[in-house]
Parts: sequence; C-alpha cells; structure tokens
Amino acid sequence: MPGPAKPKTDVPLETSVPYSEVPLESILCTEELQHRHARPPDYEKENRALVKLVSALADSPGTILQTLAETILEITQCDSAGLSLLTKDGKTPDVCGKSFYWPAIVGMWNPHVGGGTPRNFGPCGDVLDQNRTLLFKHFERRYPYLQPVIPSAEECLLVPFYVAGEAVGTIWSIMHSDRRKFDAEDDRVMASLGKFASSAYQALIHIEDLKFQVSEREKAEAEVRELARGLEAKIRRLVEANVVGIVMWNLDGSITGANEAFLRMVQYDPEDLASGRVRWTDLTPAEWRSHDERAVADLKATGLFQPFEKEYFRKDGSRVSVLVGGALFEASGNEGVACVLDLSEQKRAERALRRSEAFLAEGQQLSQIGSFSWRVATNEITWSEQLYRIYELEIGVPVTLELIRTRVHPEDVSLIEKMKMVDQESNGGNDFEWQYRLIMPDHSIKYIHAVAHATRDQHGQIEYIAVVQDVTARRLAEEARDKARSELAHMARVMSLGTLTASIAHELNQPLSGIVTNASTCMRMLAADPPNVDGARETARRTIRDGNRASEVVTRLRVLFSKKEVATESVDLNEAIREVIALSLSELRRSQVVLRTELAGDLPLVSGDRVQLQQVILNLLLNASDAMSGVDDRPRQMVIRTERDENDHVRLTVQDAGVGFEPQAGNSLFEAFYTTKSSGMGIGLSVSRSIIESHHGRIWASPNDGPGATFSFSIPAASAGIAQTSDPGRLRMSALTNVNGS
Amino acid sequence: MIMGPLITIVDDDESVRESLPNLLMEFGFAVQAFSSREEFLASDSIHQTRCLLLDVDMPSMTGPTLQVELRRRQQEIPIIFITGHGDENVRRGLLKQGAVACLFKPFSETVLLEALNAALQAAEASV
Repeated sequence: MPGPAKPKTDVPLETSVPYSEVPLESILCTEELQHRHARPPDYEKENRALVKLVSALADSPGTILQTLAETILEITQCDSAGLSLLTKDGKTPDVCGKSFYWPAIVGMWNPHVGGGTPRNFGPCGDVLDQNRTLLFKHFERRYPYLQPVIPSAEECLLVPFYVAGEAVGTIWSIMHSDRRKFDAEDDRVMASLGKFASSAYQALIHIEDLKFQVSEREKAEAEVRELARGLEAKIRRLVEANVVGIVMWNLDGSITGANEAFLRMVQYDPEDLASGRVRWTDLTPAEWRSHDERAVADLKATGLFQPFEKEYFRKDGSRVSVLVGGALFEASGNEGVACVLDLSEQKRAERALRRSEAFLAEGQQLSQIGSFSWRVATNEITWSEQLYRIYELEIGVPVTLELIRTRVHPEDVSLIEKMKMVDQESNGGNDFEWQYRLIMPDHSIKYIHAVAHATRDQHGQIEYIAVVQDVTARRLAEEARDKARSELAHMARVMSLGTLTASIAHELNQPLSGIVTNASTCMRMLAADPPNVDGARETARRTIRDGNRASEVVTRLRVLFSKKEVATESVDLNEAIREVIALSLSELRRSQVVLRTELAGDLPLVSGDRVQLQQVILNLLLNASDAMSGVDDRPRQMVIRTERDENDHVRLTVQDAGVGFEPQAGNSLFEAFYTTKSSGMGIGLSVSRSIIESHHGRIWASPNDGPGATFSFSIPAASAGIAQTSDPGRLRMSALTNVNGS
Repeated sequence: MIMGPLITIVDDDESVRESLPNLLMEFGFAVQAFSSREEFLASDSIHQTRCLLLDVDMPSMTGPTLQVELRRRQQEIPIIFITGHGDENVRRGLLKQGAVACLFKPFSETVLLEALNAALQAAEASV
C-alpha cells in the first residue's frame, strides 16, 4: 500500500504517526461489490493479460510483479495499482515480516515505488488479518500515516497475495476519483490474475533459488578445483623435493610408488619398484613386524597411523633407521601413503652423544671433577655422577637443599647458596669461584673448589653451571708447604746476613786462636834444648793445619753471608712490596690477616739492595702478623702504606692491630735478642735496622692510638742525589756490636 | 832463670788464657792472665806490666773502656788488642786511640812478636 513520498520515511513511523481510532468497518464497503452493476467478463482481455504475464515470466522473470501491476491497472481501468509484500529485510517476501514494501506501483502513485509502511499503518495489514478481499473508501480516515499522500484514494480494492499457500501481501488498485466504482468483476479478475502471478512468482523464487544454488555450487566447485590444483602442485613439490621419503602402498604389501628420497634410503632403483619386486612387508626386519601390524590395525580403525621408529632393510641387506607415519587415501580403502624420515644421522649423533657422555663421566671420575647445574627459573638442580661420589651420596638420589646441607660444613656457604646470592646480587648471572668444606659421615673434612659460570639456555633462562673439584689432597699439600715455607722464612729471619757471619766468625776464631798458639808453642818447645819428641812436632803441625782450615771455613762463610758491597740498584719500593706480599700471601691467609695496601702511585724510586729491603719488608710483615696471632676480638687488620716523606725520602709503614709494645721499650726493640715473643730470637728488627741504616735511612716504631703498633722506615729517594753506594762496613759494625752480648 | 818483662793477658776465653802464656814464656817473657778487667785492675800486676794483651770483645767492660780507665789512673801501659772479629774499621779506631797493634785472631807468632817488640820499644821510650 503506498504511503508518503520516500523522504518522509526518514522519520520513524511508529512514533510519528499514532494509530487512528477510526474503526475498520466504517471505511469498508466490500459488500457493495456484490450489489453494484458488474461489467461482463472480458475473457479475451483477461486472456491477453495472462499471456502477457506468461511472456514476462518466460522473457524476464524479474519483471513479473511489475507486469502484474500494469495488467491490473489496465483490466480494472483504475488510477493506481501495485503490490505490497510483507518483509523483514525490506526486499524479500516473508510472511513474518513486520512491514510492507512496494516492489511495483504503476499509475498515479508510481512515484512511491520502492517505499513501504509498517504492517498496521495501512489497509494491507487489515486485509491480511481478515485474509479476504476488502474494498476501502477513503482509507486515510483510519490510517493517518497515509493522509498526506495525494491524490487521496476514493476507493481501494485489495486482494491477498499468496506465495506457497501463505498470504504474504496484497494486490491493490485505487480510484482517486469517482469516475468509476469497483465491482465484483474487478474482484474476480484481480483474484484470478493474483493467483496466477502468485504461482508465477513462486516459480520465479524457486528458479532464482535454484540459480543461486547452482551458482553457489559452481563457485564451490571452482574453489575446490583451484584448491585441488594448488594442493596437487604442493604435494608434487613435496614428493619431488625429496626432503622426506614418500611411499605409496597397498595394505596387501605392494608398493605402488615412491620418491627418490625413499629409494635412496633403501637403495633400490626405480626399475626395482616398477617391477613390483619391492614389497614393504619384505623391507621390514622380523623384529619390527609387530610394529607394522599395529600400524595396519590403526589404519583400519582410524585411517592413519602415528609416526614410529623402525628399521628397513636396504637392497644390500644392511639396515636403515627411519621414522614412518602414514594414512589411507580413503577411510575404508586399501591404498595409502607414508612419509619416511631417515634417522641414520640422528642415531649416529645419539650414539656419539652417549659416547661423549660416557667419556665425560669417565673423565670426571679420573680427574675427580664433578659438575653441577642449577636452572634459576625452575630451581632444577642436576649433579654428575662424580659429584655424587665427592659428596658420598648414592648416585641418582634427588638433590635437595636439605640433602646438600647435611654434607656442607656448618660454618661454610654451600655452592648452591652462593649461586643464589650471586644471582640476586648480579641479577643476570656472574662467573665466580667458590671454596667450601664438606663434612663426611665419618667426620673427615673435604675441601671443595668450584668454578661457576652463568649461561642462558635457548629460552633465555639463566642456568649456572659449575665444575666442582675435591681439592683436599692439594689443600693438605699446600698447608704442609706453607708450614715449611713459614719455617724457612723464620730461619731466614733469624739467620740473616752479617749477624750470622759475625757470630760464627767470633765463635770459631776464639778456639782457632788457641789452636794456632798452642801449635806455635809446641814448635818452640821442640826447638829448645833438649829437643822435644818428634811426635809432638807432628801434632803441632797438624794443629796448625786444622786451625788454618777452620779459618778458611770462616772466610768462606763470611763471603757467603756478607757481601763485600751492597748491590745498588734503582728499586721500585711498591713493586718490591707486591713481591713480598705475593710470597707471604698464604702465610697471611693462614694467620687470617686482612691485608690492605695503600701504595702511593707517584712514589719515587729508591737506591739500594732490593733483596735486603725486601728482607726488611718481609720481617715487618711477619712481625705484624705474629703480633696479631692471639687477636680474636677484632679483625686482624694489617695496613701497608707507602708515601713520600720529607727531605726527598720515601716512607714505608706497616700498621698492625696486634698486642703492641710497652712505650718504654722504644729503641731497644731494634736491639739484637730483644723480643716480646716466646718463640722468636729477636734478631729480625736489629738486622732490619742495620739494613735501613746502611741505606742512609731510619727505622722506628710507634704505638697506635688504638690497639697495635706501627713500624716505619724512611729512606732517601734515588733522585735525591744520595751517594749510590751504601756503607757495608757500617752494617757489619752494627751487627757486630749487637751480637757481642752473646 | 831471669824473667823477662811482664806481659799481662786479659781475655774471657779460656783457651786463649792457656795457650798464649805458654808461647810468651817460650819467648822468655813473664806472663800473667786475667779473665776480666776487674780482676786485672784489682791485682798488683798493674804496676809491673810492660805490655797488655787485651781482648776487644769482652763482656761487661769492653777493651777500649779499660784503656780509658788505665789512662785515668795514669798507668801508661802499651796495649795490643786481639779480636775474633776481623773488622778493619774497629782496628783503625783502636790504633787512632793509641793502641800499639790490633791482631785478628788467629794470629801467627811472627805477627805477635813484631807487635810485642813494638810495644816494648814504646814502653822503653816512654820511661
């Protein structure tokens, strides 16, 4: 049913135009159709109209509704004619539609074609509700929505339009004036044409639907064909690329086709294949037959079998390891395809890996080195067998922190704990070395040295890998060596330089003097009258000879122990200190001394005997260490410092936190045999003073403000123009004077 | 037997106190030996002694100190020092202070005789 011109439909109809309260009966005059004078039926005209409709259906089915509207206009001689169809989407007829649309309008209302109204906004809704032909007079009285539409409808005849037996719309014709009135003949013709159009339209819809289905099917088939072409090309590519072996087979055991890759694996020729001699059942060694049978069972049940590892015989009877998986072409068929992967390389790599793992384990056992890894993200700990042996744990037991803790010395930090600390501090992993002790169930101690390395696995997760060595034997050897070294150092300290020489010389010369004198006396006596016994003369001569020999020994000793000249060279005191520290490091560590060095960067060279100066430094170092040996309530801190001193001197200071000394001891510290120690001989400091004085320097001691003492010496820098030669005589004199008390 | 001039030995070493007097007596000297300077200073020999053989290395009071003490008592006795330390500096110092000689132990009888002769000549010259 026509409504306002299209622009008006922009306004939401339901809200803009309220439904009228004018009752339907007041605008109907359907009954009058029976009473009006009816035109005689014009069958010829009606026949022509039907032919026109049929032609339209044959020639251009899409215009069938338009043709129907034109036919109605012509036969009923009305002013406007058209169709209203219920729809949901505005274009497809639908019996459940909530509005009408107008697919065809001819005559005066033609401009409204394509528009529409909500279902109850016009007469069509009422026609469908009553499901019969209705004749309206000025229907705009009931349907305010249609009031603005001009020219208004004087009379409107509507008949239901059926598709597939359901009323989906109306066919209508309108008189805009009273030049003629509809009659029963109009009703009949419209119903008749409507019935025909309805069938035609239904056929049309079927045809359209068929056409749509056909085209859809063609489209789908084309896509499938395209897909198949693509797939085929891809499959051909896959087969011909020979990246994997591909074999086509029959469940009965025959091979119907294979690519080169497969033939290469089993070393058959294409001719062998063509001859039909090669059967997959024969390619399979006996012990793999059961696997094949399982695969065949899977094929029959599911149409495919999951890849599994097996072996094939090659043509020459050798074997090749493969991974094979496949499927039937059709679920219930006999033919199928399988992909075959050559595993020879993997198997070889696996064997190599197993061998290298065995080597590693063997190597670890031989070298007593275990390995350890810790994945930070998963907290996963892995131990090598050798590590279990070092810890004396049963190989393979799960490694937990608690288990590790049962072995690690209670005072020590275990490797894994240290790793966690390092990981937290560095946030990203650091390499480090770590030493700790283990206590075995028999209470023996093991010394462990570990070197750890942080790495990232392929997922970027941090993993710590460590090699762990039992260094107990080495450690014990080191301790023995250190002990020997410290005894040696002590000896050297006691018996250094001219002190020893002077001592020995003096001790020997006294009796020598007696011997020589006695011998001389003896000779005199024999020369007297009467002459003495010859034997006595001989004894005397021997005494002299022995005496001289003893004297020569002394002379040699003197050469050995006291240089005639002090070797003079330019000495970098810092470098000399570093060497001494390096020598005594393990001694200091054993004594738990915390050593700090503050060596001046711009220290001038000094001139002197490097070895003698190093003896002094070593002496001061060991004294400081000894002085702290009983200290347990504070760090055993030692500071070695070098600096420029006034008057172009260089000063070295050794500060300890030890027992210190009585203030009145003062200078006597540097006298021979003065000692505060129970085990020392007290020679070191006196010799040190001799050496420093021979270098034109000064050595002194002062008590610290806190605990301990500070020993210093100060010697001229080489650039200060001090005489390059020292005074060895003075050194010896000093030593001699000190030893006189013996 | 006519005794020669008195030679006095002061040395803490017993072997020296035993051997040296014998040799000196063979040369014809009269000899007395003391183990310390205190003993010597307390004895009568101090006035008869023509030459003093003095060990440098004695404890408590060293040789040179005895020399100073003798000078204080106006006892001008020629002194020959003997020492177990062959230190040339020490010898130089002692000679400078007026010692006749300084012998390094062990010494030969020739060297000893030369020194004694020099000492006795010095003693005569001073008389």
